[in-house]
Amino acid sequence: MSQSQQGLERLLRTLAGHSELIAEAYFTGVVYKDNQNQRALNQLKQLKVLVNHDAEGYRIAGRLTQFLDSALSSDRVRRLDTDLADWIDTLKLQISLYQDAEVENRLGDCDNYFAEIERLVFDLSDTLEENTRYLSMLVNSRFANVRTLAEKQKQNTFYISRLEKLVNAITALQPESLLEMVEDQPLIYDLLDHQLIRKLPIYQQRLQDILDKLKVFLFELRQIEARAQLVQGFAFFLQQNQNYQPQDWSERDSIPEHWNQIKPLALFAYADPLDHALEEDLIEIAQKIRIDTEVMLAKQKQRSLSAVSLSPQNKTTLDLPLYRKQLRVYFDRVLKNEGQSISAVAFQQAFVDDIEPSIWLSCVLNEWLRRQQRNKRLQMELIQADVGRHFSGNKKVRDIVLQFRSADN
Amino acid sequence: MFDQLLKRLLQGEFICEVSDEAGFRYLQDPENAAQVDEFLTRLDYRLSSTQNRLAFFAAYRTIDSSARSDIRKVFYQFRIELQPVVEWLDMMMSCLNQDTALSPGDTLSFSGLLQVIEHNQALADRLQTFAKFKDFTSGDDSVKGRLEKLLLTLCKWGYLTLANKDTLIYQVNGKLDYFYQALQFIQEHEQIPVEQGETDTIQGSLF
Repeated sequence: MSQSQQGLERLLRTLAGHSELIAEAYFTGVVYKDNQNQRALNQLKQLKVLVNHDAEGYRIAGRLTQFLDSALSSDRVRRLDTDLADWIDTLKLQISLYQDAEVENRLGDCDNYFAEIERLVFDLSDTLEENTRYLSMLVNSRFANVRTLAEKQKQNTFYISRLEKLVNAITALQPESLLEMVEDQPLIYDLLDHQLIRKLPIYQQRLQDILDKLKVFLFELRQIEARAQLVQGFAFFLQQNQNYQPQDWSERDSIPEHWNQIKPLALFAYADPLDHALEEDLIEIAQKIRIDTEVMLAKQKQRSLSAVSLSPQNKTTLDLPLYRKQLRVYFDRVLKNEGQSISAVAFQQAFVDDIEPSIWLSCVLNEWLRRQQRNKRLQMELIQADVGRHFSGNKKVRDIVLQFRSADN
Repeated sequence: MFDQLLKRLLQGEFICEVSDEAGFRYLQDPENAAQVDEFLTRLDYRLSSTQNRLAFFAAYRTIDSSARSDIRKVFYQFRIELQPVVEWLDMMMSCLNQDTALSPGDTLSFSGLLQVIEHNQALADRLQTFAKFKDFTSGDDSVKGRLEKLLLTLCKWGYLTLANKDTLIYQVNGKLDYFYQALQFIQEHEQIPVEQGETDTIQGSLF
């Protein structure tokens, strides 16, 4: 392993080993030495990871900060490099040095200069890529890194001016002249062609798109400012005038465009069962319909026709309930014994089983009401129990006495 | 794309970047917009948009008595929406602690809003006042219940879309652009004072 590689590995191990200290410096801006971290701080300073902030404090070196901002997609305000002319001059210098080394057959130097040229080309590509990504993030988040409207407008205006310079700088570049310079150096020619000539127009277009968006956004921010005032003002007005209703603008001759909206149409579509092309699909759908109701599953009963039949029909005798038989006996006795009062309770005690007296009395009363309509001579007397509660509307009956009045009375 | 877009327009929907991103981009192309407009013309409709072109919708080409009747309903619905939507927008500025009103595309987190309101009695009281609007009454009297009802109604009215069911993130639709346009119109034509100093009344002396 070469010395350079060893040096790089040592650097990366040191960064990993002191990651907490570096993170503290990155997020707080400065880290102060104490008994525990002094040695580590000195080591990091030697490796140019940290630089002096003041007498007692250290901050992260600028380039490392930029790398960390990019790697962490930080929304910190960044500088946009717009001076591409300076970069082109540096590249031309390196190309010239390479060509001189090539002529003088200094192969080692050629390799070094080629590495420098590569680094410069990738540097520009990375910078443009990074700027594009950062600006896209700002636009997409609508400058979420700052809170107030005024700050957003300031940032927007700032980046519009910088971006205009950058887009103009790319337009002003004449990378084809670089290609002419390296016509005889195919390696450099390919490098410039693939990494620069073909990519620059893409970056230019992307940055131009972002610039257009920023201009639209600035317009929107101004509108947003006006809208915020409108909303707050209207809210205040409505609080003071709770019954406010706007005039009926729908009756004016000229209707404002924003209220000219069609009545929503309810759209329906149906499959055409006569379309043979759909037959298979419709069959498939029908087969999937679940039969999950008994109504659909139950077979309809066969209805018999009212046909004349010679075979004798089976007669079914309906048995009267017991209480009805007993009622019939009681009423027959009353009707036979004309003029004689017969107590329902006494009859029940003598002849009726399994019926509560109160239920028996209810049945007697019901039967008397039914018969009495046809036969007015059937008289009923309610034998009341104790008076009970006055004005309750209820009569407490302990017995019913029926009499079949003779025709003479 | 064309057929789906037409169906949505005919069903009265606002086509914006939130509610229908593909349809919205489709209409950004003037040729596509012209084709859609040509189709709508056969039905005596036309393609219209908000002033900022943040939302497209179908409008009547000829305003006869039938169209006027439908437009009246749109306006009456706006009347119903006016107070609660203004109150919502103003309240959101307080909840989100920002000096800008919501714009189409902005997102609202249910849990974020709930947390802010639950820890701020003034905001909780403001949320409570939505109960006076018929479409915002909620069976659940808690802050959570009222906030759910508020956002649900705004979705039903077309101002919000539930962008993520799992995290309950809502997104503001382009229809809000229409609302601002209507609000601006009313403020200008009815000379509603929006500078708060304009409504200061001169107090008479107490004695």
